[in-house]
Amino acid sequence: MTLPNRWVSQLLHLAAWLAAALLLGLWFGRPGWWLTGALALYTARLLRNLYLLDRFLAGGKRVPLFATRGLWPELFARVERLRTKARNRKKRYHKLLREVRESTGALSDGGIILNAEHEILWFNPAAGRLLGLDAATDLGQRIDNLLRHPDFVAYLAEPSGEGIVVPSPRTEGGWLSVQLIPYGKDQRLAIVRDVTRERQGERTRRDFVANASHELRSPLTVIGGYLDALADDPELPGAWHGPIGEMRRQAERMTGILRDLIELTRLESAESTAPAEFVDVAGMLRAMLKEFEATPNGPDLTLKLETDAALLGHEQELHSVFYNLISNAVRFTPRPGRVEIVWRRAGEGAVFEVIDTGIGIPAEQIPRITERFYRVDTGRSRATGGTGLGLAIVKHALQRHGAALEIESREGQGSRFACRFPAERVALRGSAERAVV
Amino acid sequence: MEVEDLGHHISRRFNEDLEHVRSSVLAMGGLVEEQLDRAMQALADGDSELGLKVAEDDVKVNRMEVSINDECSRILATRAPTASDLRLVIAIIKMITDLERIGDEAEKIGVLAARLASMERPTTNYREVRNLARHVKNMLRGALDAFARLDAKAALAVVKADEVVDEEYEAIYRQGITFMMEDPRQISRVMDTTWMARALERIGDHAKNICEYVIFMVHGKDIRYTGVEHMEQEIERRRQEGAS
Repeated sequence: MTLPNRWVSQLLHLAAWLAAALLLGLWFGRPGWWLTGALALYTARLLRNLYLLDRFLAGGKRVPLFATRGLWPELFARVERLRTKARNRKKRYHKLLREVRESTGALSDGGIILNAEHEILWFNPAAGRLLGLDAATDLGQRIDNLLRHPDFVAYLAEPSGEGIVVPSPRTEGGWLSVQLIPYGKDQRLAIVRDVTRERQGERTRRDFVANASHELRSPLTVIGGYLDALADDPELPGAWHGPIGEMRRQAERMTGILRDLIELTRLESAESTAPAEFVDVAGMLRAMLKEFEATPNGPDLTLKLETDAALLGHEQELHSVFYNLISNAVRFTPRPGRVEIVWRRAGEGAVFEVIDTGIGIPAEQIPRITERFYRVDTGRSRATGGTGLGLAIVKHALQRHGAALEIESREGQGSRFACRFPAERVALRGSAERAVV
Repeated sequence: MEVEDLGHHISRRFNEDLEHVRSSVLAMGGLVEEQLDRAMQALADGDSELGLKVAEDDVKVNRMEVSINDECSRILATRAPTASDLRLVIAIIKMITDLERIGDEAEKIGVLAARLASMERPTTNYREVRNLARHVKNMLRGALDAFARLDAKAALAVVKADEVVDEEYEAIYRQGITFMMEDPRQISRVMDTTWMARALERIGDHAKNICEYVIFMVHGKDIRYTGVEHMEQEIERRRQEGAS
């Protein structure tokens, strides 16, 4: 190990000091005393420097002056450098903190930092405004003691997805969206947004669609009625039979679109979960199969009921789901195709599948087909009928049942549409009947 | 008792128990607040389905009362709390009874709203009742917030607000009698509206009770039944004592 210069010089200094003492001792006699005295002086000086260092570390401001460069001044200089660095770092952090505080103060969204017990550690001014929080009293308070809505309490226990919308505790008729984001070791950031305007806008839109659909129904019924009468009229000139038939078909299509629009609007404005009524899936599917088998020029239909489990949900909505999926499969599977309808258990849940050997869907369009009025190939699908709303209805109805929609398809080969229902929606025969009673 | 006293215990476990039961009570409060909200929405929208749903959901409120009661009994039996902790547990046991009664009143309002939904809507669209409901909602929220923050001053403000609620109820009642005399065909609807106002007024009373328990918890002395002015003086006196 090589010693740094200042240590070498210090050792030499000590050696010289002792050598001098020895010489003087030999000259004046009693070298032992001289050596001891020299060592004592050296130790005293060492102790003094240590004392100065101690005081300096304890917070002394002034750096002691030393006559020569060497070990001790070097030590002091290093300590001073360390302290200056720490001071500067602290200043930088303070500045950063101040800037962060100012910027979060300017945010219009509320931010709240919660610990693992959901106690409020910090919140920005916007959060204080939106939730009525007071910095003087509410730090350390559990957030669900102040924002008490049952939906929020449940969301806190299991934060998932996009957050949750709850009525505002401060403004009448206001709505807030709250989203919890975990970070760090155990902390959560809650982001609160005022979504009153958006919700009102949605509500206005839905009301408009619902009203418009209802209003359009009556005129259509009148038109359809007259067209039916004309079609049945024996005195109708032959040339008109074709056009009248076409008009009837178009009127029926319009009625179908309105019916689906009304259904879709109802689904969108309904509560987010469907009720849990007993629905006999097997029976429903058997009846539906008979209906579809009656259509001419359709593919071969097979029904595979691998379980007699029932569902807990909304009967009419589930009927829509199954009907729409089977209807699509039948419509897009020309002869000699096959459509297979399956109802089976899958783990704790259950799956409803419609597998066809029809024209399939191009891969890039699969994510979009549940959009309203979306057509894969406008020419072909319009000709084969349908309202364009079937899959949108299926998607919303399944969401209300906590179920997932799976779509697989290969163009020219066929498609598979599956609805995966969670365990809590599945009712096994014996227990279900007991539940109904 | 200061707010911070909630932390001075020998047993850390006990502290968690108290915090937990406090949160349970506030969760029950939140549920009851939502019941009231939905019942009034059923009236405003003429939504009989929602009104009946509120009535159905009252079982949840009752269940919470039972479970919190059990929790409190357990704490009393196993921890034998004293002083401010004992006041807290006693106040909670009383509070949940009032909350449960508020739930029952909300259930009544839900049923009435369902009935009124099928009747002809008056031109005022139940404005006075909805106004009364707004005041009562604020009282209930104020009471629960005061409990959460252990804020005696806020609790007192809610107690005072009950006067306004009582006056509004009286006004609706008298107006109702006038309507019934003018047009006997409206008697059924007016009576249902009056019962609804009565249920709201009762909720206001229960919220006032909750505030009185909060004051009891914070200041130790039971100053209920002594009148609002006396309460105000007491609270101010104790506050100044605490500050000096």
